[in-house]
Amino acid sequence: MIEAKGIGKVYSVKKKKSFFRSEKQIVRAVNGLNLTINEGEIVGLLGLNGAGKTTTIKMLSTLLNPSEGTITVDGLDAVQDAIQVKAMVNMIAGGERMLYWRLTGAENLRYFGKLYGLSGNALEKRIKYLLDIVGLTNASDTPVELYSKGMKQRLQIARGLINDPKYLFLDEPTLGLDAPVAKQLRGMVKTLAKSDRKGILLTSHYLEEVEELCDRVYIIEKGSLILHDTPENITASVVKDYHVTIETSVLSAPVQYRMKQGLIGCTLGFTENADSTVMQIKAPFDPTAQIIDLCVKESVSIQKLELKRPRLEDAILALAKEKSA
Amino acid sequence: MWLPFSATFQRNYLVMKRAFPWSFFLGHILSGFYIIIFAYLSYFFVFKKDLSSSFSTYAGTNDYLSYVILGGLLYSFSVSLLMIASRALITELREGTLESLLLTPSSRKGYFLGYVAQGLMRVCVEFAVITSAGYFFGLHLHHINWPGVLSVLVILVAATFSQALVLGSFMLYFRDTYITQNTLFVMMGLVCSITFPASFLPDGLRWIGNIMPLTYGVDALRMVWIEGKPLVETIQLLWKMIILGLVYFPIGSFLIKRMEKYVLEKHFG
Repeated sequence: MIEAKGIGKVYSVKKKKSFFRSEKQIVRAVNGLNLTINEGEIVGLLGLNGAGKTTTIKMLSTLLNPSEGTITVDGLDAVQDAIQVKAMVNMIAGGERMLYWRLTGAENLRYFGKLYGLSGNALEKRIKYLLDIVGLTNASDTPVELYSKGMKQRLQIARGLINDPKYLFLDEPTLGLDAPVAKQLRGMVKTLAKSDRKGILLTSHYLEEVEELCDRVYIIEKGSLILHDTPENITASVVKDYHVTIETSVLSAPVQYRMKQGLIGCTLGFTENADSTVMQIKAPFDPTAQIIDLCVKESVSIQKLELKRPRLEDAILALAKEKSA
Repeated sequence: MWLPFSATFQRNYLVMKRAFPWSFFLGHILSGFYIIIFAYLSYFFVFKKDLSSSFSTYAGTNDYLSYVILGGLLYSFSVSLLMIASRALITELREGTLESLLLTPSSRKGYFLGYVAQGLMRVCVEFAVITSAGYFFGLHLHHINWPGVLSVLVILVAATFSQALVLGSFMLYFRDTYITQNTLFVMMGLVCSITFPASFLPDGLRWIGNIMPLTYGVDALRMVWIEGKPLVETIQLLWKMIILGLVYFPIGSFLIKRMEKYVLEKHFG
């Protein structure tokens, strides 16, 4: 298990005052964050830009030392035992960095494999296996500079797995990828966690991705933790509103009145069209069943029904709004 | 340390094969060549072979052309080597591969040695080309003590490598290669007895030459190359190079480690 206890990161930044003068400023990027990642679990780390996600990942992956607090990986201290910890973790970032473009896919993996202490047949087998699972076997001898963005990202995943890490940090792994490639990568991430039992920390701006993949989510704001739970619980605790839009046959005023009376706790709005009425309902619960019952009772024919459940995205937006207010 | 060494050597060899750094290669050969041409033209057409007696006293030889050509040869050798080792991490930073390298538990010494060992392949070709050019302009090749030359070069490589670690950490700090390296190279050209003995310089400048391994390397090489003297006579110069290497190495290793964290905090955080 990875366990971060009260970790913080303080940067000293020079701010230009004039052409010749600059002033040192202390920036607290992460502040007293507690976080755990278990084997076989996908944990999301969310926050707006500048929330401290990347700094947190860099501390967990040993690239940066925390200014305060401790990080342990299976009981090993990430600062004192950095070499052993490095062998157990890896990081995959979105974009096209972290690879040597002049080398082929296989050469990249061979280089990184050796840096992780692999060699000989074991390394060649691992390269073959990884190129196969990321679907780059046919492009293994092609220089990376000729790869498409999706191919580079898949090779990044192979690079991130070269040392068979127990814990993997994914920093915006689907950034800028086409929908089919992103979907394929999400499938791969799920397999890594659920079948290969790897502990994964994921940051992403695509909240549907987080909702689909993550078992638990940490939401941070200006470096501090503001919420930690399952995506479902976070959504349920932050966003209460369900929105239902129903298009029915034209409703008379008495029927509209009875509808309003029958849907207790809901807010209703009606829009009259030439041959239909559109009803908009907002409720702190899912009112679909109740609405259908009422429509049946009033002999109203439903032409279209659309339910919008609260999503994690709504929760994040609500939290951001709350924080900026 | 062996695996990072061989991995980095192989990686750089493949990159060099696919994209040979012609600009560096030609640039270093040309800078060595300009020193030779300048010395040749000055010697024959400006001071018409008339050397002052103080030159012979300070330089320990009357063979001005061999003196300058060997200076140019070793200056180019040293500059190439410094550039190869000191630019390693800043190149990773610029190409976006620094993080993936620092994530690995590999030995940084193995990495740097692999970088330098592969770079030496190119430096040796440059050395051979400048030596051949120098031969046509008056570089003597007859009294050479070859084992002595080899020993001087090996010690110079080690000391220069240590100096490059310090230079590399400055480059990372300033995130600059051009001004940082060229300031050092211009200074080396002036104070390391490349085209004239450093003894001609005022005392205020001469001390800078004393902290450059090249100063002792070039003097030692001239002794074993021009005069064919036995290695034992250069022992003091070799010791000075070794001591400088031993001083620069821990300082460079410490600073590089600090700078690795610094750049990640400063430029990615």
